[in-house]
Amino acid sequence: MIQLRNVERSYKTGAGATYVLRRINLDIQAGDFVTVMGPSGAGKSTMLSILGMLDDGWAGEYHFLDHAVHKLDRKKRADLNRQYIGFVFQSYHLLDNLTVYENLDVPLSYRNVSRGQRASMVAEVLDRFQIVGKKDLYPSQLSGGQQQLVGVARAVVGNPKLILADEPTGNLHSSQAKEIMELFKKLNDQGTTIVQVTHSEANAAYGNRTIQLFDGWIANDPKNEPVPNTTASIG
Amino acid sequence: MIDALLQDLRYAVRMVRNNPGFSLIVAMTLALGIGANTAIFTLLDQILLRSLPVRDPQQLVQLQFVGSDSGRTSSRGGSPGDYFSYPMYRDLRDRSTVFNGVLATYATQVGVQWHNQPDLATAELVSGNYFETLGVHPAMGRLFVQSDDVVQQAKPVAVLSFNYWQRRFGGDPGILNQTVVINAHPFTVIGIAPKNFHSIVVEDAPDVFATMMMKAEITPGWNDLDNRRSRWLNIFARLKPGVSRNQGEAEINNLWHSIRTDELKDMKVHSATFREKFVEKSRVNLLDGARGFSPLRDVLRTPLLIVMGMVGLVMLIACANVAGLLSVRAVGRMKEISVRYALGARRSRILQQLLIEGLLLGLAGGAVGVMLSPYISALLVQRMASGSPNNLPFSVSPDLRILAFSFVLSLVVSILFSLAPAFHFWRPDLTPALKQQTTTAAGGTMRFRRASVGIQIGLSLLLLFGAGLFARTLYNLRTLDAGFATDHLLTFGIDPKLAGYQPEQIPALYQRLLTTLGALPGVRMAAATNDPLLANNNESTNVTVSGYNAKEDEDMNVEWSIVTPSFFSTLEIPLVAGRGIGEQDGPDAAKVVVINESMARHFFGDPQRAIGQSLGSGAGNGVKMALQIVGVVSDAKHETLRNEVPRTVFVPLLQSKEAGFIPLQFYARTSQAPESTATTIRAALQRIDSGLVPDTMRSMEAQIDDSLNTERMIALLAASFGVLAALLAAVGLYGVLAYSTAQRTREIGIRIALGASRTAVVRLVLSEVAMLVGLSIAVAVPLALSLSRLLRSQLFGVSNNDPWTLAAITGLVAAMALLAAWIPMRRAAGVDPMVALRYE
Repeated sequence: MIQLRNVERSYKTGAGATYVLRRINLDIQAGDFVTVMGPSGAGKSTMLSILGMLDDGWAGEYHFLDHAVHKLDRKKRADLNRQYIGFVFQSYHLLDNLTVYENLDVPLSYRNVSRGQRASMVAEVLDRFQIVGKKDLYPSQLSGGQQQLVGVARAVVGNPKLILADEPTGNLHSSQAKEIMELFKKLNDQGTTIVQVTHSEANAAYGNRTIQLFDGWIANDPKNEPVPNTTASIG
Repeated sequence: MIDALLQDLRYAVRMVRNNPGFSLIVAMTLALGIGANTAIFTLLDQILLRSLPVRDPQQLVQLQFVGSDSGRTSSRGGSPGDYFSYPMYRDLRDRSTVFNGVLATYATQVGVQWHNQPDLATAELVSGNYFETLGVHPAMGRLFVQSDDVVQQAKPVAVLSFNYWQRRFGGDPGILNQTVVINAHPFTVIGIAPKNFHSIVVEDAPDVFATMMMKAEITPGWNDLDNRRSRWLNIFARLKPGVSRNQGEAEINNLWHSIRTDELKDMKVHSATFREKFVEKSRVNLLDGARGFSPLRDVLRTPLLIVMGMVGLVMLIACANVAGLLSVRAVGRMKEISVRYALGARRSRILQQLLIEGLLLGLAGGAVGVMLSPYISALLVQRMASGSPNNLPFSVSPDLRILAFSFVLSLVVSILFSLAPAFHFWRPDLTPALKQQTTTAAGGTMRFRRASVGIQIGLSLLLLFGAGLFARTLYNLRTLDAGFATDHLLTFGIDPKLAGYQPEQIPALYQRLLTTLGALPGVRMAAATNDPLLANNNESTNVTVSGYNAKEDEDMNVEWSIVTPSFFSTLEIPLVAGRGIGEQDGPDAAKVVVINESMARHFFGDPQRAIGQSLGSGAGNGVKMALQIVGVVSDAKHETLRNEVPRTVFVPLLQSKEAGFIPLQFYARTSQAPESTATTIRAALQRIDSGLVPDTMRSMEAQIDDSLNTERMIALLAASFGVLAALLAAVGLYGVLAYSTAQRTREIGIRIALGASRTAVVRLVLSEVAMLVGLSIAVAVPLALSLSRLLRSQLFGVSNNDPWTLAAITGLVAAMALLAAWIPMRRAAGVDPMVALRYE
């Protein structure tokens, strides 16, 4: 499903460039549940942004399904994002001024789904996640766990093939975190590919593969040979 | 698409509702700008742009001739070529073939008596085909037809204006076929004009319409219907369908040359040059008549365009201000918009959402602005109409055109200020935004806010510079020496003919009025003239001066004022040589005149040499030099304070042939506040004859104030807009400095920890202010100097690039900037390094 070849991401600084990702080679198959771990500043979220096509400034090759993402322009990448990918964020990132129902409706409206179809898709997800009773509430009226439940529901409402979750339980109580991870596991069992970033070993245990990032390099990937540790910045 | 629009509209409404304070500030800022623009445009539209409410106004043309003429012009403004004599009108009406009707009009004042109650009313003397040619239909009864206007004094019929019918007759339909007394003559009311039609003269709102053939009754003592050399009519015509103005002009000029050739035959004396200018070089132009005739349009065009330009600047400032506010809010919305992008929103959809939010605020501001605008318009109309707004037929309520203007304006400014946040969200860096690591738009926002504040400072300097120039103009005019004492002077008009007096009774009545006035308690002296001062009036004629050989093309036109004895002493116009006009200058005494200093110096070189010389009224060899100059008085401003003093001849009333025909303007020099004697004077007039209605009794100071209405209006508006702009800019500047100082807290803390003094920190903030304000001023000053050229025609006694005004305004803007920077500077100087560094 995903192939990264020599993907690098750097930011210009006064004297040169600072690399946040170095020579990333990664293969993810459809149906995988991959966990990305590593210390702060290792490049985990940047990698997730690249996978989710939110970031344009990288170099290298990226194949997603049958598409050579590195050859696509910004607009086509955004189209792929809309069609295949759902996001879950650590801080939930629900839109404060919208109700639960509207938050679930928003991504569909961006996909030009007709109003009637949107209504049935949202209703189905509300039912599936058992949050029908909360559909008219605003995010501020929900607990953190409930907000993240809506966040996950929003990620899956468009039936994505890939869910990218950036520390999805980082702000949650352990019991709420467990609930969310069970949900991910269930989605993965139903065929959705999941890539999560987490610091939690317990959460990582829900996945079938854990990649370690360190200073922008892949330090450990069970499917590949580890790359020797190198300095992350060049002048 | 529609679904997405509705969805974004729903969210936008919610955004507005959830941020009521912010929305209110934005809407009110826009309301001020849109309200002011709507108000000014309401007037500009009616005065400069709007067509008459008549059938096919685009077919109407106004006739205007160019070329020499001789005789007398009774003008009420505009060009002398706008006025024709009645015989000329008759020729043009009966002999032209390109028109479907040629109409004539003349405005005057009449006395209307109804149930023994006298009242002064405005009247329009019109040709019988006036309403028919315009395609106007009556509200009730019937309007004039050509057969009403065939024989002089044969059909005394009148049409009332809708407003006058409502005001004076309570809208009573029974007024039809009733008799009202106009200038002591009975007239039968035959109809009521439609509500929306006032006159073909845009700023006129006549109460009564009468036909040309009744001129002797409407303008007693002055008929001139058969006098070819007395020009007093404005002529309009309706082109036949399919005839262009050029075709019309070609035909009418053939006719015009034939008319002029015939007229020349009746003139006894003329030179070859005169003949050439009178016939060959004379022509009639057909001007666009769709908007009617409007001397006021010429007077107000530049001031209105200037004011429109100023409110345009205010709108830009409001727009920049709102853009600044929205860009600040954009920082807070970075997460929301990044999430929307992450959820798959296209850029166009984000832009659509921002535009809808902007439009909602813009339209809310527009709606409040439209509600405010009638109050602003009413204030302006009141200013323009010397405190009696009923005299001007301008509506202050916005109609469909104005609503459309406001809607488009709201739309345009909404799009403009909505682009500010759109600019921040065009290519956001999503990764850090979604990680909530930073407000990624901060750098761009600060640049944008600085630019927005810089624009506001620059624009407010432009407005304040304009305001400064107009304020100095007003001051210069207000403090100008008019050449006579303007204080303790009460003035009013009396027209005995409107109360039914016959010409032979009038001189004696005037004498009695002056004696009575002079004897009233509180009145020191009284006098009168047919040619009031500082009232936009002129009574000019050509003269021949003994011993002076005029060149062929020399302008021998002088002001010809008929005055009563004691005129100069009452007005306190100093005598320069000889004597003034006294009681001894009666009808049987030797004919004498007094002239002013300008005239004496022009014709005689020295006032003393003028004494004993003679002059005559008219031009050519046949003029009798019957008038001896017995005195020279110093110059006094005449038509307006701005105009040059004209060469003037003062003629004793009792020696004038017109003594029994002319209305007079009376002046009473009072020993106390002039207004306090008004009641005494009214009572005295009542005692003499209750039918004598004084016209506009007021002090000379009040009259001067009224004559400066336009100047005061512009100065007031410019100052208001300038102050408003400066306040908006100051608040914007404060916002930028407060924000940037807060952002630099850590830097300031480190500097202080490293030993920087408080003064050095203040200097740090000051340098930012100096940079921003200095750059704005550097751009705005050349722009102000360049734009101020457009104001030149409206200034008096001050140059359009006056360095003192510019320096003062620049200083004011700099002071305002320092004031705005005061709190951020104090805050910066008060940073505690320990707290600042620990915080970071």
